[in-house]
Amino acid sequence: MDRPESVSELADALRRGGYLADRGLATALFVALRMHRPVLLEGEVGVGKTEVAKVLAAIFGRRLIRLQCYEGIEVNQALYEWDYARQMLHIRALSQQQIADPDAVDKLFGPKFLVERPLLEAVRAGDGAVLLIDEVDRADDEFEAFLLEVLSDFQISIPEIGTIKADSPPLVILTSNRTRELHDALKRRCLYHWIGYPAPDRETEIVLLKEPGVGEALTRKVVAAVNRLRELDLAKPPGVAETIDWARTLHFLGETDLGQAAASDTLGAVVKERDDLELVRDNLADITSGE
Amino acid sequence: MRPPVAERDRIVRLLVRFGSELRAAGLAVGSGDIMSYCAAMTELDPADLADLYWAGRTVLVCRRDDIAGYDRVFRRFFLGDDDQVAELLGLNAAAASQVSQSTLVIPAADPGADERGEEAVLGLMASGAETLRQKSFAACTPDELAAVRRIMARIRLTPPQRRTRRTRPARRGSVPDLRRIVRRSMRMHGEPAELCWRARKVRPRPLILILDVSGSMADYSRNLLQFAYSARRAAARVEVFCFGTRLTRITRELDHRRPDDALARAARTVFDWEGGTRIGASLESFVREWGRRGLCRGGIVVICSDGLDRGDPATLAAAMERLARLSYRIIWLNPHKGTDPAFRPSTLGMIVAAPHVHLLLSGHDLASLEELAALLPSLN
Repeated sequence: MDRPESVSELADALRRGGYLADRGLATALFVALRMHRPVLLEGEVGVGKTEVAKVLAAIFGRRLIRLQCYEGIEVNQALYEWDYARQMLHIRALSQQQIADPDAVDKLFGPKFLVERPLLEAVRAGDGAVLLIDEVDRADDEFEAFLLEVLSDFQISIPEIGTIKADSPPLVILTSNRTRELHDALKRRCLYHWIGYPAPDRETEIVLLKEPGVGEALTRKVVAAVNRLRELDLAKPPGVAETIDWARTLHFLGETDLGQAAASDTLGAVVKERDDLELVRDNLADITSGE
Repeated sequence: MRPPVAERDRIVRLLVRFGSELRAAGLAVGSGDIMSYCAAMTELDPADLADLYWAGRTVLVCRRDDIAGYDRVFRRFFLGDDDQVAELLGLNAAAASQVSQSTLVIPAADPGADERGEEAVLGLMASGAETLRQKSFAACTPDELAAVRRIMARIRLTPPQRRTRRTRPARRGSVPDLRRIVRRSMRMHGEPAELCWRARKVRPRPLILILDVSGSMADYSRNLLQFAYSARRAAARVEVFCFGTRLTRITRELDHRRPDDALARAARTVFDWEGGTRIGASLESFVREWGRRGLCRGGIVVICSDGLDRGDPATLAAAMERLARLSYRIIWLNPHKGTDPAFRPSTLGMIVAAPHVHLLLSGHDLASLEELAALLPSLN
């Protein structure tokens, strides 16, 4: 299946792939697929922004191409780079053997010496790929301006080779943790969706889908406890990924109930700041008490 | 299933009207966005309110802060008792409200809006002195405006630099520039005759201004805001926040070409002019909402306040400690310091914050702000 006919069909497909998307996210992805527009996903840490790209690639049988952004990422780490070391060796070899091949220079800047980076790869793969541009807020704004160019027409010009254009563009998913505000121009090119924390019932469903071995009773308790943690004034509130980790950890240790002792022993799976740990330990009885 | 042409025209007209309503409510919705919205709705079902809502939200909203405004306009426009709209969509009013109740749950409790509301309530309870009133800068006297321009002309803010991970071609550096070496060697029949290098680039560090606009700082806060405006114009990476009993980000408001407009907009955004002070809580919310996400990583944080805190000193101490860990340097401007070189902070807030402050300056007049500007580049 590559072209879902309706939002609910896409949501069902995602569910089969192990991802529970709410109506808003499913609509955003559906519109993106139909209109060939990139989607920008923002949200708290650990709510499944990256995961959705992986699942989309899996259910459509497309290749997942991932560009992890970081501070200082440059065009030739995202687009393409000539393999200079090989080129140099090749030139040396040619000159030593005194080979006067008129095509030698053309070959030197041919596909053999071109190192494809994720963006070029994705443009070449076209709609056979899902391009995940992860944590775009970590790259600096020069890079953002460059992305804008690529995302608007999915066309890359390499002076030595020519222009490469995607006949039908890949599905592009950008994620951001909002460590800084992205430029409006980039946002304008994208559909936007904010992923929040899921409601307790949905979160329970998510955990059960991911970790079927964990009992439902334990899962409900864990989800209730995590929701209480989110209400506390934590420096880093736990995301869905932490909920899954916690349930998995408890299950691995053979616990069937979330008692105070068990919670205290496994707190490292959900709370990852020292200040937070102290705060949580003080309120542990409250957090683990029932539904 | 595409609707017939006439009906499509009506739907487009309706969506365009919805777009202009959003625009009236302050969302930046361009014609291109509305075209995308219409295109999206041809793929979806315009009679389904959930589709209408989510497609609009994903196409027309591109900032989390705008979601609440979008929800409001949507509710008024499509769920209000405007029969015409329901009719246009081929639904009678009763069906429309039914649909809205069964399938479309507009997340009324948007986390962001909720937080703000809660904070507003808390703020009111915590500080009896908070007077929720707006102070208009539109009424700036000509003298004051002249002062702004004078500061702008005189102060050149150059935040200290830091080395980045990016490199650029350089005469000498640490990384060989293979690209240039190969290109040059082409001229020499492939003989790499000279080595070229790349060196790490430098970038100015971000500058974050956190200004106290509470009652005890009233005489200075107007100047500070003018200073913030000039700083925002002078250096690219400047973020500006105000606080009295709660924190407000005014960076966007200050991005206005005309100083009077910018200051007026900023003043409208800040609600707690000349009220009480809760430095600890305000800094804590700065750390939690902005600092943690990396806004001040490696940056210079400038706090302008007299340190008269009405909150719990422990909160302030904790917030300052986290802030010190998140940022590169903290500079505190205390107008009460004046020109007295032997000044020792006497307010509890200042004493608590002192261990984490790298530099204590006065900032009570133009000269002292210039002193700050002169000191900035040397903080590396």
